[in-house]
Amino acid sequence: MRIMKLIKNNIRKKTQGRRHWLFTSLLALTCAGISASATAAPNTLRVLAWPGYADADLVKVFEQRTGSHVEVTFIDTDEILWQRINQNGAQDFDVFAVNTAELQRYIASNLVAPINPAAAPNIAKQQALFRDAEKIPGLVHSGKRYAVPYTFSEMGLIYDRAQISTPPTSIAVLWDPRYQGKVLLYNGGTHNFSLAAQVLGNSNPFQLQDKQWSAAVERLIALRRNASGFYKQPDESAELFKHKFAALMFANYGSQQVKLLKAAGIDVGYVIPKEGALAWLDCWAITARAHDSRLAHQWIDYMLEPQPGRALLEHQGLANTTSPSPYLTSNDRIRWLEPVENVTRREQLWERIVSGDRASKVLAP
Amino acid sequence: MKFGFAARLSWVLALAGCLTAGLTGLYVYRASHDLLVQDAKDELSSTAKMIDQRIDSLHLDIIRDLSLLANHPASHEFLQQEKPGAENTLATLFELLIVNKPAYLQIRLISANEYGLEKVRVDRDKSGPVRVTGDNLQEKGYFPYVSDTLKMLRGSTYLSPIVINHERGAHAGLNQPTSIFATPVVDADNHTIGVIVINLDLKNAFDSLASDLPRTFRLFLANQQGDFLIHPDSSKTFGYDRGQRILLQDEFPATAALVERKTPEITVISNTGAYADAPMLTAFVRDTDRELSGSNTLLLGVGQPMQQVLAKADELGDKILLIIGAVGMAGIVLAVALARYVTNPINKLSNTVQSFSVHQDIGSLPTQRKDELGQLARNFLVMHNQIKQQFAQLQQSHQEMENLAQHDALTSLPNRRLFLDRLENAIARARRSSQPLALLFIDLDKFKAINDCFGHEAGDAVLQSVAKRLSIEVRESDTVARLGGDEFVVLLENIDSCDKVAEVAVKLCNSMHEPIPYANQFLNISMSVGVSLYPQDGETLDQLINNADRAMYQAKADPEQRVHFATSPTSAS
Repeated sequence: MRIMKLIKNNIRKKTQGRRHWLFTSLLALTCAGISASATAAPNTLRVLAWPGYADADLVKVFEQRTGSHVEVTFIDTDEILWQRINQNGAQDFDVFAVNTAELQRYIASNLVAPINPAAAPNIAKQQALFRDAEKIPGLVHSGKRYAVPYTFSEMGLIYDRAQISTPPTSIAVLWDPRYQGKVLLYNGGTHNFSLAAQVLGNSNPFQLQDKQWSAAVERLIALRRNASGFYKQPDESAELFKHKFAALMFANYGSQQVKLLKAAGIDVGYVIPKEGALAWLDCWAITARAHDSRLAHQWIDYMLEPQPGRALLEHQGLANTTSPSPYLTSNDRIRWLEPVENVTRREQLWERIVSGDRASKVLAP
Repeated sequence: MKFGFAARLSWVLALAGCLTAGLTGLYVYRASHDLLVQDAKDELSSTAKMIDQRIDSLHLDIIRDLSLLANHPASHEFLQQEKPGAENTLATLFELLIVNKPAYLQIRLISANEYGLEKVRVDRDKSGPVRVTGDNLQEKGYFPYVSDTLKMLRGSTYLSPIVINHERGAHAGLNQPTSIFATPVVDADNHTIGVIVINLDLKNAFDSLASDLPRTFRLFLANQQGDFLIHPDSSKTFGYDRGQRILLQDEFPATAALVERKTPEITVISNTGAYADAPMLTAFVRDTDRELSGSNTLLLGVGQPMQQVLAKADELGDKILLIIGAVGMAGIVLAVALARYVTNPINKLSNTVQSFSVHQDIGSLPTQRKDELGQLARNFLVMHNQIKQQFAQLQQSHQEMENLAQHDALTSLPNRRLFLDRLENAIARARRSSQPLALLFIDLDKFKAINDCFGHEAGDAVLQSVAKRLSIEVRESDTVARLGGDEFVVLLENIDSCDKVAEVAVKLCNSMHEPIPYANQFLNISMSVGVSLYPQDGETLDQLINNADRAMYQAKADPEQRVHFATSPTSAS
């Protein structure tokens, strides 16, 4: 009896031990959290970034150079980025990475502070495409600059060299009946309407006028009829490309997909169409309530140095803003993404199109 | 019971009993624990396989329905000639199937032309089957269930990955987990002219497949890559539909082997992560349906919380504890009883030995027992008897010696030593009781002449006869002793008067009148008696003896007076 009890006690002790351990670690974590927030003194820089933008080795160099402490938090969707910055009125972070289209709502909500280019001298060393802030839509408001371009990815066309010998030059190739059932597209209304607008020759693909909608829908139904499938993720796109023996693909993830397909053993080519490739441009911005604006500027300046730029290119397959992109030629046109006139309408119509509805049904109220 | 051997013995016995009971209980508990886990494993595994078989037979049902529709003349007539009658026939057929098969969400005939336009389509709605017509018919050409199925041979069946159906206008099927089954419609010339498609409501299908599972069972379903499709926590299902990967092999790391096709089935006990507080036993099987092309592999798991698996073990454990408690108590009682049983006879023996005496008979000994204790008791009894016997002999010889030391060897009368002893006691008694006593000193007359004339032997014979006659003449409580030679002495206690003493003295003298026969002759003998009385003739032993002695000599000196009192009897009284 005593033995049974002993064993039971022992088991209880073990679970208590585990619980004890759990409590201890929780306590330790809480303490760490408290001390971390306590040490968020002027010399700490709180960075909110996408995976791959602030690798530990790069952060270490910056810390040693400035004698500061850097806390990096990663996000992986635009929505979470918005939530993190928005909660507590942007006072939880000093500097963050955001694309130009998204940046607009941060500016509108007064969550970001203007950039002083003089405090980040490396801005002057950026490629021509990025040097003139005025030319990049959404960067400058009321004469104040709110962000510094850091990396970008364009949405070019990927094609199978075995099936298409002459590199395509226009987006129109996606509608080419020769490739019926061999075209892969991105399953997203916003970008696809911009694509349709581009091929229709609209001057601003991000702002469809009322009379332009039916033509765009007609183009997209035609695009669907030519399609062999629609993807959402890069991996999925590579798999579909291989499985469907696709000849062409609209590369929503750009060079990243080229890398994946080449890794899968497919001889693909990559072109920027003459209409200009849609592209997202991620920039560093400083929050309106940053503790140490000088240190935040230093961070942006450091991010524009050759070493972080190389890391982007080599580790992430992403272009930087200080050296020429290996995926672009000097003649290539880039259309930086901008907020569109009506995301809800684009997505709603696209949902109907991708479900197989015909024009009359798609445009029905 | 003394706190000795018995206590120690019962303690050891009780301890041994409890230890045995405890160890047995522990072993039984552990063995039952293992058995229960193994049972649960087997049960879960066979349940998973049973559901797996049900999935296969469900698939077979769907394949038959597809085949029936694809080979139905109406399908061919409508696709080839657009006969309205054929359209109605098919629609009715689809409606009937939707009504009869609760898991069917949608049945469609899709053309190979017109970008995969739906030709006949019946959806399930809340109210029942809904026929979809006109503008509501959609082009599904790019969907793999059309484009892939069109490339397939007659009679083969396509199965889509299980997805959340986002195809707009899908009625009850919209945003529901769906499997899509499709088969090509092939005409007589072997041209594929369309496809028949059935959408299966995954939730409904599985609810009915698993409807008879015990309520405590948890059902898991994952696709070929491990993405959860069914999970007790519904937020973990269809993660890929929201841009997340929530994988079986992440929640149950051991299932990686299942996902990687290294094993067809596996049983997992999860006790880390989400299961740290509530461990779970889960059996997983991989189901690949070779009747189907496409995403024909599913990973199925049936789990049960360990707490429930082991509930019986805990119940059993409690019972075992109870039994061990009872057995332990019984063991203690038994041990005490056994110890008493063993030590009682020992104690009895010990008490008997302690009160050992040669004068008493030995107390009750357990000599009837047939065991070692009986043997010991019997040996002890033998020893006791031997000692008793030897002691009796010793006492007898001691008494003889004592007798010899106090009696005269010739006449057997008390000798001087014993006589002096008795006289001293008698004086003490007389003093205490104020009762007078008399001392008679007797000397044989002319005894020397007998010795000289007839020899010593004759003398001895005379002495013996005298002793005998003297002894006869006095009371038993009186003492006759021989002091030595021909001197005798008689002690009379509790005498009434001097006359009585004189009477006795005369009677003694008279007893000598009869001649003593010796060797055919008769020897005549006479004697003189001197009497001293206590207390008048002396209060001490010496005074009494001296006075009697002197009186005896006076008697001897006077031939007329054989008895002489130390003081005259008159003065004495």
